[in-house]
Amino acid sequence: MAPRQIQPFEPLPAQDDRLAPQDAFQWARDAMAARQWETAARRWATLRAVYPDQPPVWIQAAVAYKQLGRHDAAAGFLAEARRRFPSHPGGWVQGANVALARGDHGEAARLLAEARCRFPDDPPVWLRSAGLALADGDPDAALVYNRHVREAFPDDPGGPIQYAELAMEAGDWEEALARWALVRERFPDLPAGYRRAADAQDRLGRPREARRLRLAEEYGADWLAETDQDPPSPVAPPQRRNGRNFLDLVLTKARLNLKSEANRNHLRYLWWVLDPLLYMAVFYVVFGMLLHRGGEGFVAYLLTGLVPFQWFAKTVQHASNTIVEGRGLMNQVRVSPLFFPLVAVAQNAGKQSLVFLMLAVFLIFYGLPPTPHWLALAPVVALQLLLMVVVGCALAMLIPFVRDLLNLVPTGLQFLLFCSGVFYTLDTIPERWRDLFLANPMANLLHQYRRILLEHQWPDWGQLGWLALASLFGLALVLLAYRRLEGVFPRVVVE
Amino acid sequence: MSSIADASPVISVRDLGVRYKRSGSLFRPARYYQVFEGISFELYRGETLGIVGHNGAGKSTLLRALAGIIQPDSGTVINHGVTVSLLALQAGFDGELPGTDNAVLSAMLLGYTRRQARERLPGIAEFAELGEFMHEPVKTYSSGMRARLGFSVAMHLTPDVLLLDEVLAVGDKHFRKKAEREMLKKMHSDQTIVFVSHSEQQVQRLCDRVFDFDRL
Repeated sequence: MAPRQIQPFEPLPAQDDRLAPQDAFQWARDAMAARQWETAARRWATLRAVYPDQPPVWIQAAVAYKQLGRHDAAAGFLAEARRRFPSHPGGWVQGANVALARGDHGEAARLLAEARCRFPDDPPVWLRSAGLALADGDPDAALVYNRHVREAFPDDPGGPIQYAELAMEAGDWEEALARWALVRERFPDLPAGYRRAADAQDRLGRPREARRLRLAEEYGADWLAETDQDPPSPVAPPQRRNGRNFLDLVLTKARLNLKSEANRNHLRYLWWVLDPLLYMAVFYVVFGMLLHRGGEGFVAYLLTGLVPFQWFAKTVQHASNTIVEGRGLMNQVRVSPLFFPLVAVAQNAGKQSLVFLMLAVFLIFYGLPPTPHWLALAPVVALQLLLMVVVGCALAMLIPFVRDLLNLVPTGLQFLLFCSGVFYTLDTIPERWRDLFLANPMANLLHQYRRILLEHQWPDWGQLGWLALASLFGLALVLLAYRRLEGVFPRVVVE
Repeated sequence: MSSIADASPVISVRDLGVRYKRSGSLFRPARYYQVFEGISFELYRGETLGIVGHNGAGKSTLLRALAGIIQPDSGTVINHGVTVSLLALQAGFDGELPGTDNAVLSAMLLGYTRRQARERLPGIAEFAELGEFMHEPVKTYSSGMRARLGFSVAMHLTPDVLLLDEVLAVGDKHFRKKAEREMLKKMHSDQTIVFVSHSEQQVQRLCDRVFDFDRL
């Protein structure tokens, strides 16, 4: 028999191909669920004509009438139900409900006492008895009936729920909470265990706990248990990163940037060698082979100037726009804006190490083998690094405020290239301009590189000292400015 | 768990105002857009404060001011000695790098030390459910996978005050539920949280108190 959808105004099916009772009753139960009692009562009446031998058409009809306040009609149906279905406890339990609703406690007590004799194995009978005892103002008797349910029918949720409700009724909220916890433990899927416990928390003036319980209804008992535990070893960031962590962050980011850069190309890390190699080859071909300029040793002279200068130029060019480019990150996390130019400096320094290595190889093949003076490269390189930090950070700081400056950076670097003596030697400069020429820090540094690499002499420590002092002073100024501007950059870069 | 009434404020906001420059150059006077002004409130230890308001009301700007990322134009944010972090998803992600590197870097940007980040890596990978993809470049990820990784990294962060800006809409339905579950767990520990959302209903459901920009 295929189930058919019954429409309200469709004639009911003929007797011989009736729907299974449970399917047919759904029609009326839907109205009950929607709390449309009038409609439900009518539907039960219709169903009663077709299935008079089924308990629900009598008992559920009575429930609907009770809801409508028509207690007499309800009582009538239930009396009929008790007569027709002596083995069905519903007639008694609902009968007691209706009697209670009419205020007839005596009748309710009589029905329930009878039910307890007839149906000792039916939990609703005992639950209802407890309810009646409570309505009669006898909470102790209610507890006795309730305990019987909990002990005799441990798998029925009604007992523990009523147990908790009894505490709610008594206004003993803490006790109620404990009892609701038992309900959740035994029957974690029942909403009441969470909702009613939340009500109790509300009564205790603990809205936060109440909210937690309501959320737990959605996320389950496990979630609730997990929130009760201490969170696993919290990792609290320091108020501000200390210097070591900051440096580590800069170096990590620089290292990963290099990795990322390499991943972009097919030849990957090889480019770091190829790029400067090609660059040096161009100068070698043009100046060393085609023009024959500068005489003997000019190529070495050129490269010992060009390599450190390119390092400076690339770093400064790269660092100058980093703060503007870092605007997304800067607005997401609290990180000193120094981070951005410093990463550029570190990143270029990483690449430069390979270039210096190649320069060393070239010099050796060129007939300028290493001497102990090469040890002095360390302070010179360190000083150049410091200079690049100062210049790079200063430019990166200014450009967010005066974006136009970015257009001048390549030109400025070009200008510096010609002012730093990459292509010409110091003795081509008139004597009286030499001090001024060497006041240019890059010119001075290149001069020191060449003293070490080409002339095999120690650098001019005095000049280096002054340069270091000036750079440190510049560094102090830059750091001070960054400290002051830290909260300003994230806004300026997006404006 | 202590109730809010007897808790002490961890952050006090006094008369806060932020405005952004809209236009202006050397030759034109600047025009400003006042995002908000005159905002005052206290944030108490252990509470979850919801912030609602229409688009452009300044919710995210307020969070950035609370985090100390931006300086306000007027008023002050008084921090009574607590660490404050904006939970930033996918902060500093680089598409060319594998998930592992991105997770470590992002965690470091959020405030971990490198060691802490490395130690958390297995937990992050597990929570993000990325499996072998952790070793693939992030550019090969779907947006949902990226979001999952981003959330997993940020989730472990536990500053005194956590600022959340619409972070619960991550990944697919399954992961969103998981993310929400974790985040709610945080909200119900002693964590102080400021929570920005468009959904008033969500805020009502989750927060102890609500700060409504539209009722200023």
